[in-house]
Amino acid sequence: MIGIMTGSLFALLALSLPVGVVLFVLGIGIDVFGSAFPLIRGLGQVVWSSMNSSLLIAIPFFVLLGEILVQAGVAERTYRSLDAWLSWLPGGLIHANIGTATMFSATSGSSVATAATVATVAMPQADRLGYDPRLFAGSIAAGGTLGIMIPPSINLIVYGFLTETSIPRLFLAGLVPGILLALGFIALTAVVCRLRPELGGPSRDATWSERIGGLTALVPIAILFAVVVGSIYAGWATPTESAALGVAMAFVIAAFQSGIRWSWVADALRGTVKVTAMIVFVIAAASFLNYCLASAGLGRQLQSMLTGLDLGPLETLLVIVVMYIVLGFFIETLSLMVATIPIVVPIVTALDYDKVWFGILLVLLIEMALITPPVGLNLYVVQGARKSGRLSEVMIGAFPYVLVMLAMAGLLIAIPGIALWLPG
Amino acid sequence: MRAVALLARVNRAIAVILGLALLVTAGLILLEIVLREATAGMLGGTDEISGYVMAGVASCGFAYALLERAHVRIDILQRRLPSLGRAALDLLSMASLAVVAGLVSVHGWSVLAKTIARSSRSNTALEVPLWIPQSIWLAGWVWFTLCALFMLVAAAILVARGRLAEAESAVGLLSEAEDVA
Amino acid sequence: QEIEPVTLAVVGSWSSLPLHKNYEKPFWTEALPEASADAITVELTTFDQMGVAGGDVYRLLGDGVFDVGTTVADYIVGDAPELEGLDVPLLATSVADAHKMVEAAWPMVADVVEDRFNAKLLTIAPYPPQVVFCKGEVKSLADLKGKKVRGSGRMTTKFLDALGAEGVNIAFGEVPGALERGVVDCAITGSGSGYSAGWWESADHLMTLPLGGWDPVISAMNLDKWNELPAATQELIASKAKSELETPAWDAAAAALEGDIACLTGSGECPLGEPASMTLVEPSAEDVATAEDVLKTVVLPDWAERAGPDAVARWNETVGKAVGVTIGE
Ligand code: NA
Ligand code: NA
Repeated sequence: MIGIMTGSLFALLALSLPVGVVLFVLGIGIDVFGSAFPLIRGLGQVVWSSMNSSLLIAIPFFVLLGEILVQAGVAERTYRSLDAWLSWLPGGLIHANIGTATMFSATSGSSVATAATVATVAMPQADRLGYDPRLFAGSIAAGGTLGIMIPPSINLIVYGFLTETSIPRLFLAGLVPGILLALGFIALTAVVCRLRPELGGPSRDATWSERIGGLTALVPIAILFAVVVGSIYAGWATPTESAALGVAMAFVIAAFQSGIRWSWVADALRGTVKVTAMIVFVIAAASFLNYCLASAGLGRQLQSMLTGLDLGPLETLLVIVVMYIVLGFFIETLSLMVATIPIVVPIVTALDYDKVWFGILLVLLIEMALITPPVGLNLYVVQGARKSGRLSEVMIGAFPYVLVMLAMAGLLIAIPGIALWLPG
Repeated sequence: MRAVALLARVNRAIAVILGLALLVTAGLILLEIVLREATAGMLGGTDEISGYVMAGVASCGFAYALLERAHVRIDILQRRLPSLGRAALDLLSMASLAVVAGLVSVHGWSVLAKTIARSSRSNTALEVPLWIPQSIWLAGWVWFTLCALFMLVAAAILVARGRLAEAESAVGLLSEAEDVA
Repeated sequence: QEIEPVTLAVVGSWSSLPLHKNYEKPFWTEALPEASADAITVELTTFDQMGVAGGDVYRLLGDGVFDVGTTVADYIVGDAPELEGLDVPLLATSVADAHKMVEAAWPMVADVVEDRFNAKLLTIAPYPPQVVFCKGEVKSLADLKGKKVRGSGRMTTKFLDALGAEGVNIAFGEVPGALERGVVDCAITGSGSGYSAGWWESADHLMTLPLGGWDPVISAMNLDKWNELPAATQELIASKAKSELETPAWDAAAAALEGDIACLTGSGECPLGEPASMTLVEPSAEDVATAEDVLKTVVLPDWAERAGPDAVARWNETVGKAVGVTIGE
């Protein structure tokens, strides 16, 4: 059955049907061919319950927050400031992409929103300065994924919700791996561009007075981080509520920096609704597919396969990691988490792995899924912000960063303390 | 096609209204935080209301995303096809959206019908009559279905008349010079 | 007697809790097939593993999506407000009383399940009582006044309101952090769940009054499916479900509660692991009196309005009689 499913998935995706439609159709297919019960009768109920979720509302809030920062010019000023600090490295402006993405990750819980924000301000620079578009675009797609590792993070909220793990502890655990990952991206970029200078652009030196002067541009981001993340640890707001606080604070910052005008607010609202609808359509479809898969016993098959392999803890973990990498090629990430966590996490905790630690490992694998083709939402977002070229260029450009993520996964498994030291 | 442009305008207006609903919800959450910190008592139930807003905003926004061609599709095979092949896949894609949305609408109606038959209210202290949020949610799916059907017919007419470029710009994948994010 | 071969799709309750692991799973996958000489085979899953909301289980059951559905009664009171009467907080303070209350409610629940969800009631089993974990000293029910309490279920929330406490809605996984940071002062959950989730690391006082009730879990079969089954099969399933699932679950509940409390307070043998050292707060006679008063004057009349006069009359005759409370006097 798993084989037939995978085959159909490929065929339907290749027909360029919308990803959400493909998931719905697969669910219906399981109902017709793989189940003795009329699963379709639950379609309405499952879709309603998956969409009626106060957890999901953090998604539009984070997207809106990013839109406001772009409209108010905060995103661009942040980018220029980081340019002054980082562009002396081999690879030039590419480091500013990663740096800006890291900064925005600290205020946004969504990788898509982070990538969209950075791409909007950074992409126009690539052509102007003659960068190789591949690595430049790939760095934005990869940097954007940090949005769900560095707190706040929608995916960690979902994980904490599904596994009954403390979300503030998960957030603390994501901080160090997130920063290490960003440093890894920067190191890799520098090495690649030292070896093949034509892939990067010119290194640029800024004076120290430029750098120091540019620091003021980072103040709004620092304030936002303090409000969004600080409010959670101060006990004022739950993780979802903090997203609403972030939106309010972004408006305050915009009012001070450029004034609020209805024309751009309307643009920001429409952009938010568009991205939200696009994401939720896929999530609703994935929920229905998940329900069909579980009812048809695929979860049990997977579980008995994993336990039936009779492997040691580390081997089982590696099998799980490989499974996520493969599934991550094809499946939208929130759906992937929702569908697999109830099956995988009990197995992992039974092997005495820490739930908080596994949450971070899982989010790392999910980050990878966001930039691996064919289904990689961040690749699409970055491609969308480009004015020319092919999607495949972004895919190729993102590949080196996948390797950094793989190395990070190995490191996390070898030294769990990277994640657990801060919350412990 | 003027009708397509008009439909796009309507959906743009709907999107702004939905965006405003999100802003109001954010305001409600802020109020809740402030009241809780001031220990002046709580509103209670903002969590629940956020869920209903989420369901309504997303389902009513599906059609807007459709008109903006924002629903994600994989273009690996399609972009290698000649223009007639691309058009065929675009029509298939739009038809599949219309069928799926229609199916969810039909089954969504059975959810609402049960709610009405049992006068179901949420099992919280708020006791929200569930037909209200579920009606808005269902209306979004129905509107999405109608818009997808309309776009299917419009694109089919364009293709039949040989105006492939126009059809592609109405229902095709976003070309490389356009904005998705 | 020969049982005709049949396959049942069964949906159980929360997969991670002892009720499912120790009772539902062995019953459906071993005891029942065995008792039928393998004529009955079962495909068992749980609503959380299916990705189905607990409140949707009976809607789907009524539509025949699966044959047997199980969920917490509190989850479906939105569709069937009468069921709130099955789990009134504090009316039963011991396992024996709670069992008596549920037994008395049985015919009423059976009718509700049939009328509203087209299903045949099979079992009503208990979760551990929903007790109160507090950070900071609490001596009596009156001390909850002005405190922020994470509740569960509508009637509990209303009860807290009537006591002058503020009900706060936060997710289970958020509770330890929220207690530590003072977002909430107290939180209610099942005694065993509170122990295994480590709430005792953040809370120091344990009030064993079942302020959140007993969270009965009801299990039922789609009525069309039930009617299709031969009488002998019906008889076998109904009697075995009662004797091999429901009764053992209730029998073990008292010991489980004792063990949970020993684990949380360190006052005895802890079967679950390392004991914690929370301070046990015993309900005083005054507490019980206050609770009864609030119930009779505020909470139950409020429910009576939701459920309607017929349900209330029926409740008075059954559950009310069993626990010695009459609504509307
Ligand atoms: Na983040
Ligand atoms: Na992918």
